Amino acid sequence: MATTAVTSADIASEAPRSDFGRILAQREHRFAAALLAPAFLALLATTTFPLLFLVYTSAFRMDLAMPFTNGFVGFENYQVLLSDERFWTSLLVSLVYTGSTVALQVIIGLALALLVMDMKRGQGWFRVIAILPVVLSPAVVGMIWRTFMLAPEFGIVDFLAINAGLGSKNWLGDPTLAMVSVIAIHTWQWTPFAFMVLLASLASLPEDIYEAARLDRASAWQRFRRITLPLLRPAIVMVIIMRTMVALTAFAAIFTVTAGGPGTATEILNLYAYRKSFTELSIGYGSALAVALLIVTIIISGILFAMRRAK
Amino acid sequence: MTAKRLRVIALLAISMVFLLAWAFPIIWSVLNSLKTDSDVLAYPPKLVFAPTWEAYRDVLFGSGSILPNLLSSVIISVGTTIVTMLMAVPAAYALARLRFRGKKFAGFYVLATQMLPPVGIIIPYFLVLRNIGWIDTYQGIILIYLSFSLPFAIWLLVSYFEDIPFEMEEAAYLDGASRLKTLWRIIIPQVRGGIAVTVVFVFLNAWNEFLFAVVLSGNTVRPVTVAMFNFVSVEQTLWAKLAAVSVLAMLPVVVLGVVAQKHIVKGLTVGAVKGGGRR
Repeated sequence: MATTAVTSADIASEAPRSDFGRILAQREHRFAAALLAPAFLALLATTTFPLLFLVYTSAFRMDLAMPFTNGFVGFENYQVLLSDERFWTSLLVSLVYTGSTVALQVIIGLALALLVMDMKRGQGWFRVIAILPVVLSPAVVGMIWRTFMLAPEFGIVDFLAINAGLGSKNWLGDPTLAMVSVIAIHTWQWTPFAFMVLLASLASLPEDIYEAARLDRASAWQRFRRITLPLLRPAIVMVIIMRTMVALTAFAAIFTVTAGGPGTATEILNLYAYRKSFTELSIGYGSALAVALLIVTIIISGILFAMRRAK
Repeated sequence: MTAKRLRVIALLAISMVFLLAWAFPIIWSVLNSLKTDSDVLAYPPKLVFAPTWEAYRDVLFGSGSILPNLLSSVIISVGTTIVTMLMAVPAAYALARLRFRGKKFAGFYVLATQMLPPVGIIIPYFLVLRNIGWIDTYQGIILIYLSFSLPFAIWLLVSYFEDIPFEMEEAAYLDGASRLKTLWRIIIPQVRGGIAVTVVFVFLNAWNEFLFAVVLSGNTVRPVTVAMFNFVSVEQTLWAKLAAVSVLAMLPVVVLGVVAQKHIVKGLTVGAVKGGGRR
């Protein structure tokens, strides 16, 4: 803040008195620069610099466990990556995890928003309870599910499964069930987000179109397909974009529940990059994995943004 | 008529199921935190039991108390909030109200910084902080938290600054007030509400963060989200205590979330690219 004060004082004393409009513009320019400087320096230091350093690190062999083998290797990490089966598996797990959680969130969220929209009483309950999951730390959510919900027998989900005649299951020990579990947990936590956003945009839709449709005797399904869905499309696409970005880099709720296991069954690419870097201490290769994740993120968001622009 | 009534009942049942599904894991943790370990482990699960504060007493005042960890979480969250707001308020004002070259690019840059996966930030930062001895320090963790709290706060604040009428600033300039004075005396009081909401969300995201915390924490700085792991080990899980710690970790964010209820959709969709923290 101190720098801001100094700079604007400087401007006042220095400014030549020729073209009034130009000076005003110039002053505004410098004032803006002074106000933006601290935040942009911080962003450069905490996002742009790490990105450049990450790309640089990915060209090195950097093993904290075996420092004597360290050195510049060029593109070797990326060559290894392309033939690394665990990389391709983790990419697949990422895509399955992201695709299924986002689809579930949007479908359940939309269905509930439509249902609640028609409710005359009790909307308030939904609005309050929907907030609870989304404000919680994914780490805490993961811990609660791992223990009190999914533990064999006394965990509530297992208790319900036993009573439904399915028998006790090893929810986090079986590869398929573990994947189902982490997808369910993410969906549990973030469906309220889709629900709240879609409910808000449903509430803002113009009432008179529906009146006209009713007069034309359009069925409920026709009203949904022909009016609601097209009008809601921007909001739905926005939810898909936001949730996809988050699901791709989900970490805490998988790390606390399965840590990527059993084996690599729930190891999304993000988690693989973490494990490689901080568990196996291969920072160079971990960096290459993180760069790969960034590239995947950019490609997917490019596709989604193109979707948004398309009619 | 009966068909319609049946439909109403069915819809009511569905909504009850979803409300219960969302509330239950939280309610269940609260109940378990008031049980003894043997009550937690009872089969079938006990809804009725003799409540006890024992787990809370143990985790707060017993050996291996989590009070230092709660304090850690508070220092990190409050520190992040203060630093973020000091930088974000002026930046957001400039982006929302001032004319300057490169404004569009500046706005885009703030949005684009959020594309970078957190794991891609922490790998290089771990190396840097290790070199300068900032692992397990508050300044290290608060610095890196700016990477997600700043873009979020800037974009949320921009939306509030844009709502103020231009006339207010013009009137102040005509009265001869300097730009800085105008910002401080006229504009900031107008966006007090928006600033409060932003503070709530920045605090919330910092409190909930896990990935950076787990890499950078040590014996001095260990927020409660990381310290939770003390209660689950390969040998044994301390069930009731884990529940008590979870409830303590949830309490501040649930209170803040309910307080900021009306603003939560705006807070979650800010910039329309990503919510905070992540995560």
